[in-house]
Amino acid sequence: MAARGLLLVSILVLSCFAETAFGAENIISFASLKKTLVVSASHKQGLLKAGEDKITVTWGLNQSFPAGTDSAYKTIKVKLCYAPISQVDRAWRKTKDNLAKDKTCQFKIVAKPYSSANQTFEWVIERDVPSATYFVRAYAFDANDHEVGYGQNTNAGKTTNLFEIQAITGRHVSLDIASVCFSAFSVVSLMGFFYAEKRKARKSQQ
Amino acid sequence: MEISSTITETQPQKFALPVDSEHKATEFRLFSAAAPHMRTFHLSWVSFFSCFVSTFAAPPLLPIIRDNLNLTATDIGNAGIASVSGAVFARIAMGTACDLFGPRLASSSLILLTAPAVYFTSIASSPVSFLLVRFFTGFSLASFVSTQFWMSSMFSAPVVGTANGVAAGWGNLGGGATQLIMPLVFAVIRDIGAVKYTAWRIAFFIPALFQTLAAFAILIFGQDLPDGNYQRLQKSGDKQKDQFSRVFYHGISNYRGWILALTYGYCFGVELTIDNIIAEYFYDRFNLKLHTAGIIAASFGLANLFSRPAGGMISDMMAKRFGMRGRLWALWTVQTLGGVFCIILGKVGSLGVSIAVMLIFSVFVQAACGLTFGVVPFVSRRSLGVISGMTGGGGNVGAVLTQLIFFKGSKYSKETGITLMGVMIICCTLPILLIYFPQWGGMFCGPSSEKVATEEDYYLSEWSSKEKEKGLHEASLKFADNSRSERGRRVHSAAMSSSEATPTNV
Repeated sequence: MAARGLLLVSILVLSCFAETAFGAENIISFASLKKTLVVSASHKQGLLKAGEDKITVTWGLNQSFPAGTDSAYKTIKVKLCYAPISQVDRAWRKTKDNLAKDKTCQFKIVAKPYSSANQTFEWVIERDVPSATYFVRAYAFDANDHEVGYGQNTNAGKTTNLFEIQAITGRHVSLDIASVCFSAFSVVSLMGFFYAEKRKARKSQQ
Repeated sequence: MEISSTITETQPQKFALPVDSEHKATEFRLFSAAAPHMRTFHLSWVSFFSCFVSTFAAPPLLPIIRDNLNLTATDIGNAGIASVSGAVFARIAMGTACDLFGPRLASSSLILLTAPAVYFTSIASSPVSFLLVRFFTGFSLASFVSTQFWMSSMFSAPVVGTANGVAAGWGNLGGGATQLIMPLVFAVIRDIGAVKYTAWRIAFFIPALFQTLAAFAILIFGQDLPDGNYQRLQKSGDKQKDQFSRVFYHGISNYRGWILALTYGYCFGVELTIDNIIAEYFYDRFNLKLHTAGIIAASFGLANLFSRPAGGMISDMMAKRFGMRGRLWALWTVQTLGGVFCIILGKVGSLGVSIAVMLIFSVFVQAACGLTFGVVPFVSRRSLGVISGMTGGGGNVGAVLTQLIFFKGSKYSKETGITLMGVMIICCTLPILLIYFPQWGGMFCGPSSEKVATEEDYYLSEWSSKEKEKGLHEASLKFADNSRSERGRRVHSAAMSSSEATPTNV
């Protein structure tokens, strides 16, 4: 039984090595992208509320780049991205250079076909956006749906033009009342059972 | 002292199953619901199952909850630790409560009093409130002790291992089932029209209601002993009461109880830890959908359907041939292999292999739990409740420790944590080498050859001469006799000659 176990273990270990050897793909790295788009986001002052407030995003090609930079651009996807402060101690929002594994930008604001003129979009912040600090980034995709350029409304260190969004709580008064009522019912019914048992015991003694 | 079946009692009772002199069932019929034995079994495992569902209802929904409540990895880790730490002392207290009030009242009270914590999870609004609700919900895991106690009260020695193993295993299933149920319930509610952050809150009413109803079922349909409930039996003098301080002392002064508490922490404790972290692990590492991560995580807990009972059965099989030494060797081997597969699980990087390794790992870890409770009943007879409570509590301590060391905050990635946990399993299983019974031996030593050590010497050492004069040790004497089979096959002929309690049909 030990020998069979050892064989099974070695087969598993070998197979996982084999998987990693054949697993190398075309990795698109963020560092390889050029910041060819100019993106700006305008919103009201102070804390933005999910489900209520709007962000107006404007994007376009940075004209200081040589002509033809945007020849491959087919679509633009504008995304809401976490600022570094909201990524601390939260590995599920980690920034990775491999764009396939990068979790910085998890919310899509809009996707539009690329046009050389500047474009604008007004976005009502969706209700499932969590409370955090954000910035806006736009990715340019080619015909194969690979990232070929980007732009963001903040600087390289992601410290400027950040804005805070406050999420909905998801709580409702009816839920609160239901919770309290059912809890009280549980405790009271326990007392009720005890009382009924005592009465039965007293009755059987008579 | 045998109780003869020819003495007719004032009220001859008819049981659906064959019973022994204590009216404990000598057969375990899974597909029967006959009162009181099998009905108790079903009430017991279903209510324990509901406690597991509630305690681990949050982990599969964490990807939603962590954004709603703005939790950090540290907050999540702390809540996970809190969820299993409450039961550490609650399990030890539960053993006492069962002794004093009976398993029916003890377990139903615990389950009904922890149900509010599950209802209040729906209105949690911050990391602190989240931690508090998980902490109080976790107390319900103490119903493990009442389950085992109740099975030991209803089922006789030849089947008590199986009854205990199946009840515990099927209860632990809840930890797996909840990883399937909660994402499903969440999806249904969300599709009806609720927004994400409201849907998960409504979803928590399902485990809460299930828990409440399970407790009601126990109160309405359950009874403590084959003959009735504690209150009535104590009044009529049919049940003796032992002294709590003596029982407690003999439990905690037995070193084997402490070793088993430690090693159970590294099979059951590891199982609880995995229940807490595995859904998030698959969701984050392999970029799966919530629903898919839940299914994979569920398969870990669902293996309990057969693996924990199998552990108990393997223990019994080894004991038949090799006695207690066989039980100890089987326990050490299976648990160490569990550690090996845990190390591998953290190292594999592809989804398919990861799932396969996780399944193998789950079988070994859960079988080790079943094997542990093949040894526990023999550590002490007088203080069985305390030893069971210590071992059970030790399981939760192991869960607290592993989550504290490896899965709190961002110090280790989850995969590194899993591998290191595997190493710790192997190290903390080594103390089994130190367990030694004078009458049966240990892993490396045979039974004591200096003086002829007997089962009676071992079990009667728990009673003082004054107590023996009063005849309080009679039950231990009977047990010592029955436990002679732990010598293994070579003394089977000797075991045959000693009288065993003959099963009687009343």
